[in-house]
Amino acid sequence: MKTLLHMQGLTKQYGKEKAVDSLTFSLLKNTSTALIGPNGAGKTTTLSMLAGLLKQTSGTIVFDGEVTEDIRKVIGFLPQYPKFYSWLTALEFTEMAAKLSGVDPKIAKQEAVKTLEFVGLADVKNKKTGTFSGGMKQRLGLAQAIVHKPALLLLDEPVSALDPIGRREIMNLLKELQETTTILYSTHILNDAEEMTDQLVFLRKGKLVEQGSMQQVREKYANPMYKIYFISTEEAAKFVEISPWPARQENSIAFIHLEEEKPVMNEVLRVLADSHLSLLKVERATASLEEIFLQVVNKGE
Amino acid sequence: MNNFSVLFQKEWRENVRNFKILWIPLVFLLFGITEPLTNYYLPQILNAVGNMPEGTVFPFPEFTPEQIVMATVSQYQFIGMLVITLGFAGIISRERKNGNATFLYVRPISYASYVYSKFSMMCILVIGSIILGLLANLYYTNVLFGSVDIGAFIGFLGTYIVWLLFVVSVVLFSSAAFSTAIASVVSLALVLFFQFIDALLGAYWTISPWKIPMYAGYVLSGSVDKTPFTWSLVITLLLIVLLIFGAVYFAKRNISKTKI
Amino acid sequence: MDLESIPWMLILPFIIIQLILMLVAIIDLTRVSSTNGPKWLWALVIILGNLIGPIIYFIVGRRNE
Repeated sequence: MKTLLHMQGLTKQYGKEKAVDSLTFSLLKNTSTALIGPNGAGKTTTLSMLAGLLKQTSGTIVFDGEVTEDIRKVIGFLPQYPKFYSWLTALEFTEMAAKLSGVDPKIAKQEAVKTLEFVGLADVKNKKTGTFSGGMKQRLGLAQAIVHKPALLLLDEPVSALDPIGRREIMNLLKELQETTTILYSTHILNDAEEMTDQLVFLRKGKLVEQGSMQQVREKYANPMYKIYFISTEEAAKFVEISPWPARQENSIAFIHLEEEKPVMNEVLRVLADSHLSLLKVERATASLEEIFLQVVNKGE
Repeated sequence: MNNFSVLFQKEWRENVRNFKILWIPLVFLLFGITEPLTNYYLPQILNAVGNMPEGTVFPFPEFTPEQIVMATVSQYQFIGMLVITLGFAGIISRERKNGNATFLYVRPISYASYVYSKFSMMCILVIGSIILGLLANLYYTNVLFGSVDIGAFIGFLGTYIVWLLFVVSVVLFSSAAFSTAIASVVSLALVLFFQFIDALLGAYWTISPWKIPMYAGYVLSGSVDKTPFTWSLVITLLLIVLLIFGAVYFAKRNISKTKI
Repeated sequence: MDLESIPWMLILPFIIIQLILMLVAIIDLTRVSSTNGPKWLWALVIILGNLIGPIIYFIVGRRNE
């Protein structure tokens, strides 16, 4: 697959503080990438540099094989808190956005109408944006970012402010766009990145700490374990004492992490049967996405 | 010009929808006709109020038509300039501050077109309103105080427009370079305070942008000294060009201050 | 000064323009979502503030977004 954008050693420094620190990664054409990290990890700064709003302290951005200073012609950008001219209607605003991005003025209006239909704002296209709700603003923000059919779509926390329904709807729109557009979006919620995202890039304090597909990250940080539920804390404690494998205990649950030693379930059950402890349930579990997120961004702390 | 018409349309819509296109001309129109009216009817108004002791006589001076026009200009020079500087100090900085401008700045717009679109809109509003006000003033002055020489009036108007272009450029530059609050202070200082200083200490020099309104008055009464007048115009026009270039430069440089 | 001697042709435009300015300010006040300070106060300023009232409203009271 072709590389659309490559960042090499991208750095943004404010005084002594490095908001983004030697970031290197690539976006393949028509794939989606999630920038994941806690607040303050440098996600917005990275997106702003790509959008041309901030100038990097050092590093290069290579777009479609060329080192470029200004990729504004080929990008669409949705800021985290989109603000609109409250006195323009959704259609006027989207049409203006199209024209300013170089869409032929003759078809700009037509394209704006189509885009507003796509994001589900057809009914309110002649309403002033000042009357819009948060969800409608997010859709309009998306409309202005895609009306000129950019090769690269940059979205800063596109769904963080939305309720679960709005979140699902925006994610579905993005999934549709992904067929023809390269998408880079930021989020601090790993669950949002699930499903549609081809590449995950984890940031912490401006540095890239992990990178890979959802499946790769899941496998690496799955941290498989047996969870053994007892009827009481004492029983769980007793089990930890007699367990032939390293085990730990939280209240009435004992954990065996499958690290060096990987006993099969039968062996565990045999030990349990011999122990005569009062067992409730045994299960094989992996880390939840939330746990994975915490593990990755706290790596090396 | 790249994008200019699209950006200008945006400015136009904004100023139509926030009523600036109405209220600014109305304000200047009102001041334009208030001055001749009050000066002419002041004695009668005072009589009508009527609680003066019998036989009180006020020595009301006889005004020439030119003096009435210049009295109007001095109203514009204070309240008018206050309206312009405070009313437009946020013209660029506010867009940065509230994040509206993000949508412009991530697009391949030309910053020159961006600044020109604002400059054009301000010129239409400010210069248009003041011309309207001065024409109304001319009519009232004609009816109440006698006629003003039209040739001299046109010369005066042309000179005063140069001053207004300077004011517009100062406000635009400040708004591009600073936050709205600082831009208000800077443009107030450059427009009102410097004028005051010039009036106070200006006897020591003759060439200055802040003397243009005064020279405009001399043009009207036909007694202008050509050399300092011409040089003041040249200097002012140069400053206008510099301020506009500066505004483009800072508009571009300050995009990183846009709230995202 | 009796009513006939008042030069209405000159005074009337003044009064009409002032009324229009006040009206524009009031219409604007009803249309904007919020002002700096309570709306009723601005209504008073516009109506009682003579010529200056509407100007102060447009410059200070109106919240530009």
